[in-house]
Amino acid sequence: QVSAALKEGRVTPTELCQRCLSLIKSTKFLNAYITVAGETALKQAEESEKRYRRGQPLGVLDGIPIAVKDNFNTAGIETTCASNMLKGYISPYNATVVQKLLDQGAVLLGKTNLDEFAMGSGSTDGVFGPVRNPWSYSRQYKEKSVPKSHSEDEESDWVITGGSSGGSAAAVSSFTCFAALGSDTGGSTRNPAAHCGVVGLKPTYGLISRHGLIPLVNSMDVPGILTRCVDDAAVVLGSLAGHDPKDSTTIQDNFKTFELPNLTDVSKFSIGIPKEYHAPGLSSEILSLWSKAADLFKNAGAKVIEVSLPHTRYSIVCYHVLCTAEVASNMARFDGLEYGHRSDMNKSTESMYAATRREGFNDVVRGRILSGNYFLLKQNYENYFIKAQKVRRLIANDFVKVFGSGVDILLTPTTLSDAVPYVEFIKEDNRTRSAQDDILTQAANMAGLPAINVPTGLSERGLPVGLQFIGQSFQEKQLLTVAKWFEKQVKFPMIQLEVKRHDHGAFQHQKSASFS
Amino acid sequence: VLNRRCVEAAVMTGLALNCSINKKSLFDRKHYFYADLPAGYQITQQRVPIAVNGSLSYSLCIDNKMSQMVTKTVRIKQIQLEQDSGKSLHDDTRSQTLVDLNRAGVGLMEVVMEPDMCCGEEAAAAVRELQLILQTLGSSQAVMAEGQLRVDANVSVHHPGEHYGVRTEVKNINSVRFLAKAVDYEIQRQIEELENGGTILNETRAFDSKLGCTVPMRDKEGKQDYRFMPEPNLPPLILYDAKSLPANMNHQQVVNIDWIHERLPDLPSVKRAKLVERYGILPEHSFTLLNEDGLTEFFENVVKQTQMKPKKVIGWILNDLLSYLKQHSLTVKESPVSSFLLADLLNLLEKKEISSTAAKQVLAELWKGEGKTPLEIVKEKKLELIQDQKELEQICQAVIDGQENE
Repeated sequence: QVSAALKEGRVTPTELCQRCLSLIKSTKFLNAYITVAGETALKQAEESEKRYRRGQPLGVLDGIPIAVKDNFNTAGIETTCASNMLKGYISPYNATVVQKLLDQGAVLLGKTNLDEFAMGSGSTDGVFGPVRNPWSYSRQYKEKSVPKSHSEDEESDWVITGGSSGGSAAAVSSFTCFAALGSDTGGSTRNPAAHCGVVGLKPTYGLISRHGLIPLVNSMDVPGILTRCVDDAAVVLGSLAGHDPKDSTTIQDNFKTFELPNLTDVSKFSIGIPKEYHAPGLSSEILSLWSKAADLFKNAGAKVIEVSLPHTRYSIVCYHVLCTAEVASNMARFDGLEYGHRSDMNKSTESMYAATRREGFNDVVRGRILSGNYFLLKQNYENYFIKAQKVRRLIANDFVKVFGSGVDILLTPTTLSDAVPYVEFIKEDNRTRSAQDDILTQAANMAGLPAINVPTGLSERGLPVGLQFIGQSFQEKQLLTVAKWFEKQVKFPMIQLEVKRHDHGAFQHQKSASFS
Repeated sequence: VLNRRCVEAAVMTGLALNCSINKKSLFDRKHYFYADLPAGYQITQQRVPIAVNGSLSYSLCIDNKMSQMVTKTVRIKQIQLEQDSGKSLHDDTRSQTLVDLNRAGVGLMEVVMEPDMCCGEEAAAAVRELQLILQTLGSSQAVMAEGQLRVDANVSVHHPGEHYGVRTEVKNINSVRFLAKAVDYEIQRQIEELENGGTILNETRAFDSKLGCTVPMRDKEGKQDYRFMPEPNLPPLILYDAKSLPANMNHQQVVNIDWIHERLPDLPSVKRAKLVERYGILPEHSFTLLNEDGLTEFFENVVKQTQMKPKKVIGWILNDLLSYLKQHSLTVKESPVSSFLLADLLNLLEKKEISSTAAKQVLAELWKGEGKTPLEIVKEKKLELIQDQKELEQICQAVIDGQENE
């Protein structure tokens, strides 16, 4: 919608950019952005405006304000990964996905907050502080929350965004941008998407280039796409997908961009409901939403069957071994010598390395490095790493079997519950939380499959709940088609943000939810 | 991202060394912390390298006599592709280390030989032959002094019939000559150590070229766990040959072993055999020709431009030209005497217009590089052979007369 508006001249890119920038200022308390690149954004908007005036926009994305998670390299803009290790680090180059968006004329507003080095499921463990879920400030949430005495105002009641791409999700959810890039290694795009009521797409591994994405787990990371509707996600996907010679893990085949059809008849589809995803701890609300969704498909004529992915329960443990091992390897490059933080300790190279890494990394990162190195030791390699790889193969095969038996798409919950209040969340440590929260999302990373969170409804507390669709490898078109149909059926409500400083009531109506 | 040229170089070298090329090879990360390793790991091929089980033949002179050459073979265990680290320069005066990262990440080819050699001379000859092969293939310039070819020698001693002894690794060898010295020193050192009742430690030692000995360096593999892990960013390397190449595969994307095989240039051993056959020179001569950069070309150019038989030309090339160049530390390319000039001179000799002694004198003049032709020098110095019988008689008579007068 916004794109059409830009084309018709109803609004200009610079106006759009300025509005977003001022909204970012008003929503600063959300702590969604680490760096706001106001100046460069305006310049980009001006360039875009020139193009529109000439009648030559680069595409649908020209002039559209976007945000990028702070673990993607952006030339000339600080890239920190929410870590002391990279505070002040200015990237010399753009990640391929960032470059592609810029090439399409998108306007980069800034870098969003995350868990340090993308490790976490709450976006609470970065050095710039936690990200607040915009829904904490929504009328919907406030109406449902137990009225408190004046002294205990919203400040203590706010809920987390989920993680680790919480900043990106919050940015999209609070209308400060129209699309954002996240990353997804164990659910880091889908989890916050569910908690923030936005669409979160994890593409098939190998479809989108990871060049320039600071790696967590090379064999599972993918850039994630966060938008307010499925159509937008498809547009962004179209501009990002395809082989990148700088990333040897991207597939060679030519990617065919597609237009999402408006599906009306789902009777040809077979939807699988994996019984193992009825995980312990799944809230009854979500369980009922899940079955309502299944019924929705059934009533519309689709084939809905229960399926089994028997190795699902091993996936968390397996993930932890492989993830920590790769993390230990990927973090080895942060030694303070070439870039990033360097400790003042200079007695010897070793002591400098040790001090730099202790000062630069938080507990979560250090814990994972230690575990990972343990698993990679010669004496442990067979029993842990190799075993985990084998289990990974079994998990992936579960999906192959199910899809091979005629199921097209799997329908599962994305999270175990709606967003919890921050004060609750921090009662458990990062590792425990991750183990709990990743359980529904992480098998898709193990198998490299595409998955998407579609906001489905509001919980009793007035917070968003989403459901996840998992598709077959490289079948994003099918996945998104079904997701779009579902989105139309559930008609997820728009957030009614109540922001203190400016009255955005009128603003909300003018602003469109989507850009396509 | 894998460098295609490196893969091709490794395949060429593997084929030249009679290796089996692994159609599928894998990459691994070898982790350790060091200032010259910016990523904290080195990408290498620990599990399945690109080429295995080859051999390298080289020749030695027995008893330092060029006339008796014997051929030996050393087995090649494997060739693997890996990344280079940066360079550390230790500044002891200021207690600091300077790190040069320019070469970090550059592709390396490691050739691992089996312990089939028994002395410094053999090691040197084998490495020399490898250098020639690499230079011929274009895989590397292989100049040791510039670090283009780095050699680490693993040395151990044992009594005949017993198991191989504990080995030490000797590094910091900067030339083929030093390689021979280092190996021989280390062999002696180990023998003496054992004969005095000591033991050999599995350690890394550095060769000190000034003192001509080896000294201990750092502890090697024993204590280090490199935490090998498959490199997740590099898929397995698949190579094809004519049989296995899929029909619709883009040629730009693949490396075809057979295609490379067909385009291999003549290896040194083949070149030498051809020289011997074509020109009738001795095998030892062919070795010297190939050992000197540009000498073969020079020789062949002279042969083309003169009527003198190659068997005779070779003498002039190896004895006169080469020794002069060596005396003045010149390369063939820097020779003030071009093949054209030398051919000219040899033609005069062949036509018997000058004697061979005269020819040597002319050559001495030519070295000055004053731009004169051999003929000009001959005329200037009146070195022409006098063919006229009568004239000769007159001169002899004059000499005899002269003698009588004293």
